[in-house]
Amino acid sequence: MDSALHATGTGAFRVLVADDEDDIRDLVTLAVRKAGCAVVRSVPDGAQALAAARSELPDLAVLDVSMPGATGLEVCTALREDPATSGIRILLLSAGASPDEVARGLSAGADAYLAKPFTVAGLVQQVRALTAGVAA
Amino acid sequence: MSVAVLDRPAASARPHRLTDPATWPGAARLALPSTVLFSVTALLMATGWVPVVDRVLAGIGLAVALGATAVSWVARRSPVGLRSLALPVAHLAGIALLYAGTASAAMLFLLLSPLWTLSSHPTRAGIPLATGGTAVVLLAPYLTGEALAVAAPMPGALLLGPLVAAVGSVAVNENTRRVAGQAHDIARLQREQAALLEQVQSRADELDTASRILAARAQTMTSVIDAVTQQSIIGTDRDGTIRVWNPGAERMLGLLRPDVVRKRSILEFHEPEELAAAAESTGSATPLDALVHAARVEGSDVRDWTYVAADGSHRTVSVAITPRADDRGVHAGWNFVGTDMTEARATERMKDQFVSLISHELRTPLSSILGYLELVMDDEDQPLTDEQRQYLSTVERNAQRLLRLVGDLLFTAQVDSGRFTLQPADVDLAAVVRAAEETARVAAAGAGVEIVVDVPADGLVVSGDAVRLGQACDNLVSNAVKFTPSGGQVRLSLERRWQAEDGGLLEVERPGAVPVALLAVADTGMGIPAGEQGELFTRFFRSSTARRNAVPGVGLGLTITKAITTAHGGTLDLVSVEGQGTTFTMTLPVDPAS
Repeated sequence: MDSALHATGTGAFRVLVADDEDDIRDLVTLAVRKAGCAVVRSVPDGAQALAAARSELPDLAVLDVSMPGATGLEVCTALREDPATSGIRILLLSAGASPDEVARGLSAGADAYLAKPFTVAGLVQQVRALTAGVAA
Repeated sequence: MSVAVLDRPAASARPHRLTDPATWPGAARLALPSTVLFSVTALLMATGWVPVVDRVLAGIGLAVALGATAVSWVARRSPVGLRSLALPVAHLAGIALLYAGTASAAMLFLLLSPLWTLSSHPTRAGIPLATGGTAVVLLAPYLTGEALAVAAPMPGALLLGPLVAAVGSVAVNENTRRVAGQAHDIARLQREQAALLEQVQSRADELDTASRILAARAQTMTSVIDAVTQQSIIGTDRDGTIRVWNPGAERMLGLLRPDVVRKRSILEFHEPEELAAAAESTGSATPLDALVHAARVEGSDVRDWTYVAADGSHRTVSVAITPRADDRGVHAGWNFVGTDMTEARATERMKDQFVSLISHELRTPLSSILGYLELVMDDEDQPLTDEQRQYLSTVERNAQRLLRLVGDLLFTAQVDSGRFTLQPADVDLAAVVRAAEETARVAAAGAGVEIVVDVPADGLVVSGDAVRLGQACDNLVSNAVKFTPSGGQVRLSLERRWQAEDGGLLEVERPGAVPVALLAVADTGMGIPAGEQGELFTRFFRSSTARRNAVPGVGLGLTITKAITTAHGGTLDLVSVEGQGTTFTMTLPVDPAS
C-alpha cells in the first residue's frame, strides 16, 4: 500500500475521501494518489466528512453515497449551501447506478458520479479531470 | 310492498231477468192473484150474485183458468221461451168461456189481469195475443151460441174493445220494455264495473308479484354484496354521495352503513393531498372529477388510492372504479371496489429494499475485489508471472460474472416493481450491434464460432435507452455464441422493415404500416425443443439443451431482453429447430421522421 502511495507521490491538489468501507476508502486513496493528488483526510462517515471539509477546505471531496451519520447526498447539499465550501469539487461514489440515483446525485450539486464497482483507471481519470481546472 | 286486496262483487254475466223472456216472472207471479180472482168468481157464481146461464161453459171456463194456473205454478221452475205466455192465454180462454156461460159483463173485468200480463211481456208477442184474446172474449157468446142470453155488445164495442186492448198493450209493453232496457243498461254497467274491478284486482296482483320479485332480487344483490367482507364495495351518486356501503367497507374504514349512506361523500375517505395532486395532473376541476377521471375516459380504472379510515389511519387500497347506470341506462353514479393492499405494498417495498440492500452489499465487496485486482495486475513495478496473471484473470472473470448476476437480479426486481425507467435518446442500432459483436468477439473466437455482421452502412436510428438496448443486444449475441458449437456461425443482421397492423413484416412501405428496425440474431447452434420455446422468456428457465450441454447461465438474460424490448414498444420472437439453430428477431419502432 505504502509502496503504491510513495510510487505516485503527493501532489498539490488536496482531496478528502469519505467511505464507510475501509477497503474501498484505501482503494480510493490509492487511486487519488495515482492521479497525483494528496489525500488530506480519509474519514468513515458523513458527519466527519462535513467537519473535515469545513476545516480542511480541500479541492476535491470523494464521497460515498451510503454512509452513516450523513449520506453523501446530504454532505453534498450542505457543502453547496455554505459559501465557504461551495467551491469544493465533489465526486460521488455509489453502488446504486440507476439513472434516477445518478440524477439525484447530480441535482444535489455533485460534479461527477461514479458507480461502484469502478475501475481504478476510471477513478484516476475522473480525479484528474476534476482537479484539472483547480489552480495549483 | 303490498297492495290491499279489493273486495270482489259477485260478477253477474247473466242478462237481467226482466229483459229475458226465458226468466220473465210475469206468468208465475200471476198464479196467486188469478187464483184469488177466479175463486171469488166461482163464489159469486155459486151464490147467484153472478147469474149463470150455461153451467157447463162457466164450469169449463173456471176449470181452464184454475187448472192452467195450477199447472203454471207447478212448472214455474222451467219457464222457457213463449211458454210464459201460455197462462194468460189460458186465462183469456177461461174468461171467454165464463163470459159465454154467465152472460155477465162483470166477467170482462177479469180481462185486466191477463191483458196486463201479456202486454208487459218482454217481447211484443203479448200485444197481438192481448188484442186477439180480447176479441175472442167479446165474441165468445156468439161463438158458443149464448149470444141471446148476453146483453150482446154492439158492433162498436166489439171493435173498440180489442182496439183499447191493443193500444193499452202497446203502451204498457213500450213502458215495460223501456224500463227493462234501463234495467239492462244498469245490469251492463254493473257487469262492466265488475270487470273493471276484476282488472284492477288483477293489476294489483301483478304489481304485488312484481314488487315481490324486485324485493327478492334486491335481497339477492344485497346478500351478495354483504357477503363480501374483504373488499370494500362503495356505490355513489354522480355527486359522490355514498349510497352503497358493504361490510367490507365497514371493516376497512371503520364506519357502519347507517352512519355513511346518504350522509357522507366518497371524498371524505380519500387523502385530500392525493386528490389535489390527481386533479392537477389530470386537469380536473373538482376532486371527484380527479378521482373518476380515468374511469370516465377509459370506462374503468384500477389503481392504488389512499383511503383514510374513521380512526385517521391510512390504507393503501387498489380501487377498481366503474361508472354505474340506472335501469334506463342513464349514468347514475360510480362504483368503487377496493382491495386493501397496505400489507402487500409494504411487503413489496420490503422486497425492493431487500434486493437493493443485497445488491449493495454484494457490489461493495466486488468493488474491492475488482479494484485491488486491477492494482495488482497493472502494477508496473512488480510485474506478474504469466501463471499468476492467468490465475488472477480467472478471479477477475468470475468476479465480473458475479457482478453481472447481481445487476441482472436488481434489474429484474426493478421490472417487477415497475420502477424500471428508460432514458430515451436517439440510438444507432447499427453501432449497438457492432459493439455487441466486439464484446462477444473474444469469447466467440475462443469457442471457434464465427460472427458475421450485416448492418446498414448509414446506420439505423431508433428512440431508446442506449444502455438497455446494448444490454439486450449483448444478451442475444452472447447467448448465440454460448449455444453454438465450434465451427458454427452467428449472424447479426439489421434491416429496416414495415410492420402492418396485423403484426406482419413487410419489406416495402405500405399505407397503415409503421417503420420498424428488425434485428435478427441467427445461430447454427443446438436449438431449443419446440415444447420449451414458450417458456423461454420465463425467469430462471433453462432449456433442456442448455442443461444437457452444461451451458453456463441462470436463466435471466432472455427475461431481461424481453422486458427491455417490451418497454421500448418492440417485440421479441424466435424460430428454432433442434440441432439446426435458433433465430431471435427483435423489432423496435422507428421514428418515421428519422
